[in-house]
Amino acid sequence: MTEALLSVRGLTIDLPPGSDRPHAVEDISFDLFENEILCLVGESGSGKSLTAAAVMGLLPQPSVRPSAGQLLFEGRNLLELDEDEWRTLRGRRFGMIFQEPMTALNPVMRVSNQILEVLEAHGEPGGPERVMELLNAVNLPDPEHLKSAYPHHLSGGQRQRVMIAIALALRPTILIADEPTTALDVTTQAQILALIRQLQSERQMGVLFITHDFGVVAEIADRVAVMQHGRIVELGTKDQVLEHPRHDYTQRLIRAVPTLDPPERRPLDRVQTVLSVKGLGKTYRTQGGLFRPRRVVAAAKNVTLSIRKGETLGLVGESGSGKTTVGRCIIRLIDSDAGRIDFHGVDLNAFRGRALRPYRKRVQMIFQDPFGSLNPRHRVGEIISAGPIAFGTSKTEAMKRAQELLQLVGLDPTVVDRYPHEFSGGQRQRIGIARALALQPDLLIADEPVSALDVSVQAQVLDLLADIKRRLNLSMLFITHDLRVAAQVCDRVAVMYQGEIVEQGSTGELFRHPTHPYTRALLDSIPGRHWRARA
Amino acid sequence: MTELWQRYRRNKGAVVGLTVLAFIVVLAGIAPLLFPASPWEMAGAPFQRPFGEFLLGTDMLGRNVLAGIVHGARVSLMVGVVSTFVAVTLGLALGALAGYFGGVIDDALMRFTEFFQTIPSFVFAIVLVAIFRPSIASIVAAIAIVSWPPVARLVRGEFLSLRRREFVQAAVVVGESHLRIILGQILPNALSPVIVMASLMIASAILLESALSFLGLGDPNLMSWGYMIGASRSVMRQAWWMSTFPGIAIFLTVLALNLVGEGLSDAMNPRLARKGRT
Amino acid sequence: MGRLDFVARRLLKSVAILLAIVVMNFLLIRLAPGDPASVIAGEAGAADEKFISQLREQFGLDKPLTTQLAIYVGGVVRFDLGWSYRNQRSVADMVGERLPATLLLTVTAFMLALGVGVGLGVLAATRVGTWADSLVTVAALGFYATPLFWVGLMAILLFSVNLGWVPAFGMQTLGVQMTGAARVLDVAHHLILPALTLAVFFVAIYARLTRASMLEVQDMDFVRTARAKGLAPARILRAHTLRNAILPVITFAGIQAGQLVGGSIVIETVFAWPGIGRLAFEALLQRDYNLLLGVFFLTSVMVIAFNLVTDLVYSLVDPRIEVGS
Repeated sequence: MTEALLSVRGLTIDLPPGSDRPHAVEDISFDLFENEILCLVGESGSGKSLTAAAVMGLLPQPSVRPSAGQLLFEGRNLLELDEDEWRTLRGRRFGMIFQEPMTALNPVMRVSNQILEVLEAHGEPGGPERVMELLNAVNLPDPEHLKSAYPHHLSGGQRQRVMIAIALALRPTILIADEPTTALDVTTQAQILALIRQLQSERQMGVLFITHDFGVVAEIADRVAVMQHGRIVELGTKDQVLEHPRHDYTQRLIRAVPTLDPPERRPLDRVQTVLSVKGLGKTYRTQGGLFRPRRVVAAAKNVTLSIRKGETLGLVGESGSGKTTVGRCIIRLIDSDAGRIDFHGVDLNAFRGRALRPYRKRVQMIFQDPFGSLNPRHRVGEIISAGPIAFGTSKTEAMKRAQELLQLVGLDPTVVDRYPHEFSGGQRQRIGIARALALQPDLLIADEPVSALDVSVQAQVLDLLADIKRRLNLSMLFITHDLRVAAQVCDRVAVMYQGEIVEQGSTGELFRHPTHPYTRALLDSIPGRHWRARA
Repeated sequence: MTELWQRYRRNKGAVVGLTVLAFIVVLAGIAPLLFPASPWEMAGAPFQRPFGEFLLGTDMLGRNVLAGIVHGARVSLMVGVVSTFVAVTLGLALGALAGYFGGVIDDALMRFTEFFQTIPSFVFAIVLVAIFRPSIASIVAAIAIVSWPPVARLVRGEFLSLRRREFVQAAVVVGESHLRIILGQILPNALSPVIVMASLMIASAILLESALSFLGLGDPNLMSWGYMIGASRSVMRQAWWMSTFPGIAIFLTVLALNLVGEGLSDAMNPRLARKGRT
Repeated sequence: MGRLDFVARRLLKSVAILLAIVVMNFLLIRLAPGDPASVIAGEAGAADEKFISQLREQFGLDKPLTTQLAIYVGGVVRFDLGWSYRNQRSVADMVGERLPATLLLTVTAFMLALGVGVGLGVLAATRVGTWADSLVTVAALGFYATPLFWVGLMAILLFSVNLGWVPAFGMQTLGVQMTGAARVLDVAHHLILPALTLAVFFVAIYARLTRASMLEVQDMDFVRTARAKGLAPARILRAHTLRNAILPVITFAGIQAGQLVGGSIVIETVFAWPGIGRLAFEALLQRDYNLLLGVFFLTSVMVIAFNLVTDLVYSLVDPRIEVGS
């Protein structure tokens, strides 16, 4: 092998006193070579992002600082550089792209100027022409028009392309990408990954790519380093790590990644229908102005679907496809403006306010955000028993039931007196499930229930959901953007695109023989779709 | 609660503020014991310099300046607390309704609020007190009327964002009533910025009251700091102490309240507090 | 397109608020204890019966309330703010001739407050934890807690009475006829103390706000992006941090306009500055409610105009305005 571009040797990064562990990163070593993509993969809190920040000299000092080790680049230890020396490297030799394209650009500066700025800062000639070249290089549409655009005119994917243009403007030797596609939709993600791949090989760059997603790793990596609790537990080529993982943690992580092969499921043709939605529509209107036409957005158009007893229907789609709107219309958090929602043969859309109450307890919801879905000022017991109490159950009775439910979701019943902040994300999601079950519903609407969780926790929560569903013979509408998850948990899947269901069918059929072009595009975009994680 | 105090204690300024404030409150409480005679009554020879017979001297009518300040503390604190209480109650109610129900209700209430926020508050207070005759009631009412809009906007903002939070949606889904959701789910989470704002509002209400009575719009029966300063203007050159000490009293009270407010803000939003204090 | 819409909206809103203020003025007179006619005349309880009935007829107080309102609004639209019986002059004339002095004072103080306040805020934010930061923070806290009129009195005691640097009262030297540059200088000399006093409270506000806003923006992702580009610290500060941190300050400056105008009443009273604030004080002494309401109306107009200007400035510095506020 040739000499490394960057050698990390025994890097240790301290956390501020009072944190849950002394070091964010502990004694890690790795090399980054020319013309390769090295993926740093790990769950939240593994220290991967701080490692990236350290390589870029962007640690939030003084609270977090490197305390030992070396970052060797062209014969110099970067940890010994002062801020002025760093400045000559950043932008010119190291480029960086970040996770959140929505906030990574200055909202009040034209994007062309944000690119131009990096050229000027390093005394690079070319000016506006170079900016146009760069906008072209990252395949942004209509670069001429983009000259006067501000970030808010661009979509998330387009903003990430601008970020890439900025990072690569001065042809850096090393590109550091910190979860650059995590905030993007799957089809956009596929395009951005392809772009990074293409630019990397054109320029023979070394790319340090931070991600939590093994699908992305399978898609883009040459070599992989797996991090856990601030340490690198396994380092090797993509093939070695993904196909023959040696470390126990790596094996567990890979096992937790849902496969894209839907398991066989028993047919439910003869079972009674619980929910039947016909022609559901919801339109949002923004207020117009004197000089601005009002905008009309159809969030859901003529949506028709049904769920049978004991069945899980997956509603999949990208952000803005209307899947969340449909879920909230069904549970009547928002009022739809067309169609019927027949629940056991009764049209829920015919009821409003208090008349709706009898149905409230029969349809319950599991929310996405384990931090936002539990009232931080209420104890766990109160949270779970609120529903039964609202329906007239006595307080002692409801509390007893809450304890049983906690046991059902795999938590200690004594935690009723604790507050939500004392629990981890996965545990909170279990509390949320217990709350939904407290009213003994027939139908659960789960809105991205595992999207905010790390992959190993995600697997546990999905197992719990499957188990409960089977035991209580529940029906479920499972809303997700993650096709891997959908493949594993859903009996049938409906694909939403721009407010409409474009295709609907049994999970196996839909994944193996998609008919609608959008479904095909969606499936083709799944990162690592050709890689089959070993079960 | 103890945790809150732990975090509050970390802000040294806030602890000093609380101590000063406690001292002033106690002083106001025992004013009738310290100076049983009316502060309007002549206590000695006029224009006595401070640190002589009387600690803070006497005014042009021989009234004890210290007695005036101690009795004035009662008026200032009372006006500050009562008007803030009224303003916060009003602001909470309107802001909660607007933020929770949104739509037309929100539009209407916010237009109303915006109107009251646009008109120059001090001038409006002057007009109100002047037209309804200066009295403790009209002063408190006027200060409350010009002070509630920021509370309403703050509460509305909190309610708007909390309304969209998943735990509130979960409460809707499990069938809790609007009232329960507003009072049980949202309000407790919206309260801490309101408490902080209230402590700062007491401070500005005291400033406002002092300015009103400085202009001669104080309650004619009650001794107040602003009145003392206003009355001393014509003799400022001979008797500096007459205007200086009541001013210091206002300054200390308002500063103490602001420090307490900041301390509360730090203690209640530990995440925000770390910024700017490292 | 969007910006035009934004400004048009704000203009419409301003007109609506103005109208509401006129209606409120009208109602205030009728709500006041005592006979409205006597209130209007500033003669509460003092005027004789014949004069009052004459007034009542003159103001149409015998007509239905809506007609009275129409008459009143019609008058305001023609800049007729009523008659000051105490001074035997038209209220519009009285406030009109005092307006320039108040504008001079408030605009000077505003510029001063904004400039110095933002400067100190930036200084403190870029040196968090140093003695400069502590000094600015403590001074801001102190001035924020000091009543304006008292600062004015203390400033007079110190700078006029004891040191004799600047005049304490009025807008120009009495008894001396000056023209041209000499007159401008004389007014400027008189302006120093009141403008500084009025500004100092708002310097405190803007310094605190700017500091907090800067610290918040400093932590944002796009500032990290700017650092990752290898930009010089001065460039990051100017083009990224300050450029964004200034936005809430501008919004707040608009909201504070009313406070500034209110403060000018106290300041003009303390420094005998011949503006509408001083006029308001005179109206209070004479219980001339019609004049007082005239002042209230005019200060409201000033605040609305001020808000419009800040909105306009805001729409120029924040490109996102077109997406709708």
